[in-house]
Amino acid sequence: MKILVPLDGSDNANRALDFVIANIATLKETPQILLLNVQWKVAVGNVKLFINQETIDDYYREHGMKALQHARAALDAANLPYHYHISVGTPAEAIVQYANEQDVGQIVMSKQGHSDLQAKLLGSVVSKVLHLANCPVLLVK
Amino acid sequence: MIMEMFATSQFWVDVLKIIMIDLLLSGDNAVVIALACRNLPEAQRKKGILFGVGGAIGLRIVLTFFAVSLLALPYLKLVGALLLLWIGVKLLLPEDEHGEDNIKADTRLFGAIKTIIVADFVMSLDNVLGVAAAAKGNVSLLIFGLLISIPMIAWSSQLVLKLIDRFPFIIYAGGALLGYVAGEMLVSEALFAPFVAVQHYLHWLVPACCAVLVLAVGKWLAARKAVESVAVNLVDEAIAAKPNNKH
Repeated sequence: MKILVPLDGSDNANRALDFVIANIATLKETPQILLLNVQWKVAVGNVKLFINQETIDDYYREHGMKALQHARAALDAANLPYHYHISVGTPAEAIVQYANEQDVGQIVMSKQGHSDLQAKLLGSVVSKVLHLANCPVLLVK
Repeated sequence: MIMEMFATSQFWVDVLKIIMIDLLLSGDNAVVIALACRNLPEAQRKKGILFGVGGAIGLRIVLTFFAVSLLALPYLKLVGALLLLWIGVKLLLPEDEHGEDNIKADTRLFGAIKTIIVADFVMSLDNVLGVAAAAKGNVSLLIFGLLISIPMIAWSSQLVLKLIDRFPFIIYAGGALLGYVAGEMLVSEALFAPFVAVQHYLHWLVPACCAVLVLAVGKWLAARKAVESVAVNLVDEAIAAKPNNKH
């Protein structure tokens, strides 16, 4: 089975992965773990007139890798194989799109990611994923 | 006099209009500043961002007052209104994906600052025109519009993206607002003054029609393009467990 863990670099999100690692022994078969970070597509419109795509991609990659850092270190420490992936787009839609492409059996995510004011006012990625996903979604508190 | 101005509801409506226009039309400046300074050596990066933001703010102030004095000339309100209609329609269109032959981010401080200033000149035009139109020559509204837009030059533009993701109608409200403001500019054009003075209802009919026009044209063009915005895959890598201590 493939388990997708979307991460935004927040401690909350990382707890979902910690949960997967802690409970992996309870599964009959070691699952394939897929890590995903989605970068908001901030470089649109006129930005592309002044900055080349290579620089834009480097920017997304740097921020994406930062968000995945903790999870990768934890998986390396547990000596578990995994895939990691960075997409650029709108988080909820991109998570579901990747889950569909990879035909994952389960999405594991924390109840909330970043817990700042902005996240509170603008609602959560989680509720949108729940609405759009075609596979079971496990929420970690 | 000043107190009187604050007390009218028209003033607060104008304030809201300006906030909305600032919010929707100043998103990309912050991104360009961050990206243009990326390839600078660490020590110069802060300096680049500081000069970049400072220059961008200065440029925006100059452009705003330039725009206001230009709009006082005959015929130019007509041109400004047409431009605003187009800016409104463009807001509703989905993103073009094809890459342009753009400049590589400079590794020198001067080059990075030059990129930021030139980019800001181009990207501020829509914002400046929108605010100038909504302020209708009222200097305190104009300064207010400038002050609101300054933190948005320096801030991350993720906020706008998140807002639109959460409340997609914002983009349509914004398009309609730009159309409405363009219509208000049109009826205040000196060329049409004798006409508007007689047919008083034109004061609301023209802006309303312009708002509908922007929405209709934007919707129509967007439907013709009909590109599904999908997430782009950037990095995809597999990490295997080390075979020697596999359990």
